[in-house]
Amino acid sequence: MNPQDLQYTVEHEWIRTQGEVIRFGITDFAQDALGDIVYVSLPEVGDQLTAGQPCGEVESTKSVSDVFAPVTGTVTARNDALDDEPGVINSDPYGAGWLVEVAASGDGTQFLDAAAYEAHTAAL
Amino acid sequence: METTRCTPLFAWHTAAGAKMGDFAGFQMPLEYPSGTVTEHRAVRSGCGIFDVSHMGNLRVTDPAAVNRLLTNDVTRLAPGGLQYTLLATPTGGVVDDMMITRTGPTELTIVPNAANTEAVMAVLSAEMGAAVADESDQFAIIAVQGPASPRVLAGLGLPTDHAYMTAVTGEFEGAVVTVSRSGYTGEHGYELIVPADSAVALWEALAEVPEVTPAGLGARDTLRTEMGYPLHGHELTADIGPVEAMLGWAVAWDKDEFRGREALVERRAAAGGRRLRGIILSDRGVPRPGMTVRDASGAVVGETTSGTFSPTLRHGIALALLDRAVSPDDPVTVDVRGRQLAGTVVRPPFVAASPK
Repeated sequence: MNPQDLQYTVEHEWIRTQGEVIRFGITDFAQDALGDIVYVSLPEVGDQLTAGQPCGEVESTKSVSDVFAPVTGTVTARNDALDDEPGVINSDPYGAGWLVEVAASGDGTQFLDAAAYEAHTAAL
Repeated sequence: METTRCTPLFAWHTAAGAKMGDFAGFQMPLEYPSGTVTEHRAVRSGCGIFDVSHMGNLRVTDPAAVNRLLTNDVTRLAPGGLQYTLLATPTGGVVDDMMITRTGPTELTIVPNAANTEAVMAVLSAEMGAAVADESDQFAIIAVQGPASPRVLAGLGLPTDHAYMTAVTGEFEGAVVTVSRSGYTGEHGYELIVPADSAVALWEALAEVPEVTPAGLGARDTLRTEMGYPLHGHELTADIGPVEAMLGWAVAWDKDEFRGREALVERRAAAGGRRLRGIILSDRGVPRPGMTVRDASGAVVGETTSGTFSPTLRHGIALALLDRAVSPDDPVTVDVRGRQLAGTVVRPPFVAASPK
């Protein structure tokens, strides 16, 4: 269910490393737990992120959840399409529902592979 | 007190994959796999069914005594008539809001909120002793809401043509079903009171109709918020009463006696205070209860009591208690976790209501 070629965090985010740039989003588990996502707040291009710190919000009809920066670095892209269609995160969390791309300049939080992440969610 | 209770439909909800959550001590469906927004839209455009069996069911056999307590006037109710009414506190707040139905010449049925059934029962039984009985466990309540609801019920052989805010009885597989033309969504709809042991059969028959979508408490909340309908614990509390919540129409001011009358008359006549209004956000974001509201000058003018994303308007909406000086069309900001989001004061409903 969770793509094998991605890495994951205990905060239910996925990470795709493309050279120096990493793209991240929230996992299928996270979107399902939140329910219908109706609003997304993302950092702007050029913003500095610090690994483990909140950098945005994903909000559903019933609750709000922080987005945590998985790495330290500079935002190089944000998924503007989510401003108008945040529900794409529900329908395609690992594809069109990506959140942010960051040029990493420092440490990341601890990453898990798909099997370790599934073990993590199974224990919740 | 703290043990979790289940409605007769609990097993159906879990088998259907509903996300369950605790609500007033009951395990209730928050949403089904279809999701809150889809369920919301189904009610606005077709037909949704809700399990609201957690709500109470009190049988009253002393109309005069209950009329000395509740704010509205049950003597105005013809047999089969429904009325929205309140049980106030002695200081002008609210113990609970509820629907009351005249089920017979000397018999009334009250449906209080799940969380308040015990409190309502305590006040009523202190006044009328054995003339009030808690029959909550004997019945399930299924709300059938939306423009397609008459067609759905007619297909099950249940009556549908009676007037808004009246109830008649029908029959389903040998069980007597009370069919009320009422609801909490703003749509044409019905609330079915059915013996607990017939609830599953009735629910399954409804759910099998292709145009019916089971809906959870998430959609129930977004639907009622779009209508500006109060929810006890938010727009009505021990402090916030009918005067503040703009529910003076549910108070029979000309009645000599009802609980809290003196305090309510005083609150009604007092200058100042706050009143319940709606706010539509123009900025993107979702307001939640307990957020600070400021006017254009930055002065605090009130606080939100409920807030959500309106699936119909695709904007954040809130109900808020605001200073009386604040009027519809005034610009305000809502403090959403430090972001000051712009919005406009409105008079609810946010979405045109068509319950009749």
